Amino acid sequence: MLIRHAIVVTTASLFAGAVAPAVATAQLGVQPERNAPTTYAITNARIVPVAGPALERGTIVIRDGIITAVGAGVAVPADARAIEGSGLTVYPGFIEAFGSLGMPAASGQGGARGGPPATGGPPRAPAPAAGAPNSLRPVGQQPELLALDLLRPEADDIAAAQGAGFTAALTAPGSGIFAGQSAMISVRDGAAQEILVQSPVALHIGFSSGRGFGGGYPTSVMGVFAVLRQTLLDAQHYGAETAAYAANPRGRTRPAYDASLAALQPVLARRVPVVMTANTQREIERALDLAREFNLRAVIAGGQEAHLVATRLKAEDVPVLLSVDFPRAPGTRSPDADPEPLRVLRDRVEAPRSPALLADAGVRVALQSGGGYGRFLENVQRAVESGLSRDQAIRALTLAPAQILGVADRVGTIETGKVANLTLVRGDAFARGARVAQLFVDGQPVEVRATGTGGDRSADAAIAGTWTVTVTLDGSERAVTLGLQQTGNQLRGTLQGALGTTRIGTGTVGADGEFRFTASVTLPDGTEEATFSGTLTGNAMRGTVTIVGHDPGTFVGTRPSAGPGAQSPPRPRQR
Amino acid sequence: MPISRPFPELSMKTMLVAGGALALQALAAGAQQPAARDAAPATLIRNATVLTITKGTLENTDVLLQRGKIARIGPNITAPAGTQVIDATGKFVMPGIIDPHSHLMSDGINEGTLSVTSMVRIQDALDPTAVSIYRALAGGVTTINILHGSANTIGGQNATVKLKYGQEVRDMLFPGAPPGIKFALGENVTRKSRQDVARAMGQPMRYPATRMGQEEVLRDAFVRAQDYKLRWDDHRARVARGDRGAVPPRRDLELDPLVEVLEGKRLVHAHTYRADETLMLLTLAKEFGFTVKTLQHGLEGYKIASEIAAAGTGLSTFTDSWSYKIEAYDAIPYNAAILMRHGVLTTINSDSDERIRRLNIDAAKLVRYGGLTEEEALRTITYNGAEQLGVAQRVGSIEVGKDADVAIWSQHPLSVYANVETTFIDGEIYFDKQRDHARRQQVARERAELLRADSASAAPARPIVP
Repeated sequence: MLIRHAIVVTTASLFAGAVAPAVATAQLGVQPERNAPTTYAITNARIVPVAGPALERGTIVIRDGIITAVGAGVAVPADARAIEGSGLTVYPGFIEAFGSLGMPAASGQGGARGGPPATGGPPRAPAPAAGAPNSLRPVGQQPELLALDLLRPEADDIAAAQGAGFTAALTAPGSGIFAGQSAMISVRDGAAQEILVQSPVALHIGFSSGRGFGGGYPTSVMGVFAVLRQTLLDAQHYGAETAAYAANPRGRTRPAYDASLAALQPVLARRVPVVMTANTQREIERALDLAREFNLRAVIAGGQEAHLVATRLKAEDVPVLLSVDFPRAPGTRSPDADPEPLRVLRDRVEAPRSPALLADAGVRVALQSGGGYGRFLENVQRAVESGLSRDQAIRALTLAPAQILGVADRVGTIETGKVANLTLVRGDAFARGARVAQLFVDGQPVEVRATGTGGDRSADAAIAGTWTVTVTLDGSERAVTLGLQQTGNQLRGTLQGALGTTRIGTGTVGADGEFRFTASVTLPDGTEEATFSGTLTGNAMRGTVTIVGHDPGTFVGTRPSAGPGAQSPPRPRQR
Repeated sequence: MPISRPFPELSMKTMLVAGGALALQALAAGAQQPAARDAAPATLIRNATVLTITKGTLENTDVLLQRGKIARIGPNITAPAGTQVIDATGKFVMPGIIDPHSHLMSDGINEGTLSVTSMVRIQDALDPTAVSIYRALAGGVTTINILHGSANTIGGQNATVKLKYGQEVRDMLFPGAPPGIKFALGENVTRKSRQDVARAMGQPMRYPATRMGQEEVLRDAFVRAQDYKLRWDDHRARVARGDRGAVPPRRDLELDPLVEVLEGKRLVHAHTYRADETLMLLTLAKEFGFTVKTLQHGLEGYKIASEIAAAGTGLSTFTDSWSYKIEAYDAIPYNAAILMRHGVLTTINSDSDERIRRLNIDAAKLVRYGGLTEEEALRTITYNGAEQLGVAQRVGSIEVGKDADVAIWSQHPLSVYANVETTFIDGEIYFDKQRDHARRQQVARERAELLRADSASAAPARPIVP
């Protein structure tokens, strides 16, 4: 079969609903390595190189995984498989700027994956917590943990990421205060060693300990910051001690080796950037304060409210790996529920504008799917409709993440000598309804699967929505409305009603439906912190609430309907 | 970009009426710069009854707020050009209320996992956008002491905050306020009920489970802090002797604040109910050579008023909240009055996002129970709080040169009919009743518009499937 017809084949297979993991393997059978062609030419395509102005009709030549020629008058080499590109736009391969592709499920950012009972499927058993060998620190506080060592991509996940147009992805161990260090990988099938582009890329920090009652220090955001500061101080001290010992061991006690503190040395020296997951304005400000205190090269990931901090992000030259998994309206509200706070409404309505606001303010922005591969392109299109220019958008998908993550010498643009990672879109990627037609990853053509057909780590809707809750405490019942949002295994939202008005800053929800959050509640004898821990079953929740100075209470809640993500049917395949 | 200010339209308008030079300076500096706030427009409050707290009550008196400070107090002050003039005839001007015990705007109250969590800081958990801040401003409150909870013997570091709603956390922290720390004794620490839960769930119980254990935790922590201080003193001595190879000892964030307590640089705010445990703490503090700045709650303080006064310790209590747990059974509403008569620096606190809005009523009860004068009663929610937080040189009374943190009340603030009309911090308006009412329509309009846009986004346009 001629590769010339590969696109036709791709489209046909979509109609049939067939899924081909990778075109080379599928077509060439048992010895793909030996027989796979290595030279391709995409002809007559619109080319958006990002490195320069767009070419309305041009040719790209790929040889041995590298782009060897780009231009309008480029000849097709005799040994090249030619691909007719009429009607296609060729972009530099999209880069997923942040995620946990190929990470074990338990530490994956998409903690809700497989778990939410809303879909009725059996929850996937969480993998045992992965820790670094011989670490002196508990799991979740091990900066030496490398994504590379955990990397084991599953074909379904790779295919789903490819469906969104991704050719490269930053993947990080998903949870913990010091979650570990990320890797940049090529989004294709292959062993970890083959698909690795660079490791480590960045140190990853999160502000949620994910620990429940009885889980040990720290459980609060205050405690998380104390751990961060103490560990970074210890790393400074370790650096000084080991340097003094190396200079002259005579008469000195040998400092004990500490892999965690050793791993932080390049971070303190600003050679490795620090990606901090921070969504709310206050989380982002806390991240910036920490970076300033320890002179870290900070990058914000998530960034839902980053546009509210744009001036400071610009002034301190802190880039944002912005999730386009914008919050969406919860489902039907109970008539008993309190109205949503204005700020929550405002945040939700304005969210698609945030990429444009940040880019216009001069903040370096790269986009990440936030886990929802199936809706990724649609979300980017919403951002474009909300003011992001097409030029800003394509940069944020390609060159910007490559630069922020230190791999721009290899990927991010269509230029001679760069890795042949290309995303081919029929028409314009930023017009409604556009979809990815084909990819090249490391110079090999990849057939993409229709979006939304599986492997999608869409994180929302396990617990997101408006809940009508009755809290039984000190012998009386109190009616409360919970408005909850979920990103991965992170939970936040608002609490209103008979326990006061407050925001839920840090919470977690696990794959098994176990959730936990804390909120300041106001009772007749004062304001105290309440820890809610419970279990989610479909549209019902129940659990216990513990408050210092009070006997433990209980709560039960219902949700009129799940969030839209859980309710909406799988996206239909389109023509 | 600043958080949307409570009254964005106000700053613009006042800038326009302000003197030309000031307005230019404000515009050039930008809304986020301290310089801009120093240049807040002058305000003349005319013909009010001024409750100065420290210098008596002044009838038919004007107060000029300029550059964030109280510039002049007196009759018939001439307003400088561009001054905003507020006619306060028949109204009362009082210093902003100071709440010495609050958990307002905090995303986390307790790090309750360990018995000693002096390394955690409330400052790291503050939410400057919490709506409860605005509600507290509507009750005339301008400065609060945000404390760690009472889950453990030595809790976290406090934050003294001016309720400058709309600013970033770092701009709300009270400049120059001495740092503090929360201690806690009694039932909340032994947490009998939660220990039972932990046992039932097979989780380890947290030490200490008795008041004896609490004393031991304190003593152990301060002995460790003394050792730590010695290590640092030794290192400094080596450096002073010219030892260039000396590597500094490990910084310990748990012990740093306790060393500051030993050195008298950090104020201890200790949650305690029962007289016996309070005496234990005062004795222990004396042994280690520091003074407990305040006892928090101290509902049995009246039993040991002389001892508390002799220790130089203040007390911050509720007026008439009691019997909500065993250790609160012996409380009496005369507690504050008795303590004050014994010379204890006494305040009333809210410890509640709800009660913080009516601390004036809690103060009024002290006139009824214990016969304090009106001025003494008001002192418990203003000047005395400033002293307990170490910021009395800046706030707590209406005196020339102090921060322009004042509130205009519709009636005498000890009246149940009194409402706050306007609250100023550093000369800027952070709450205004009239503006609030005017804004409600605007907010309703915005809500309607947002709801429309929201329902449109809830069902995103999907391609039509044939």
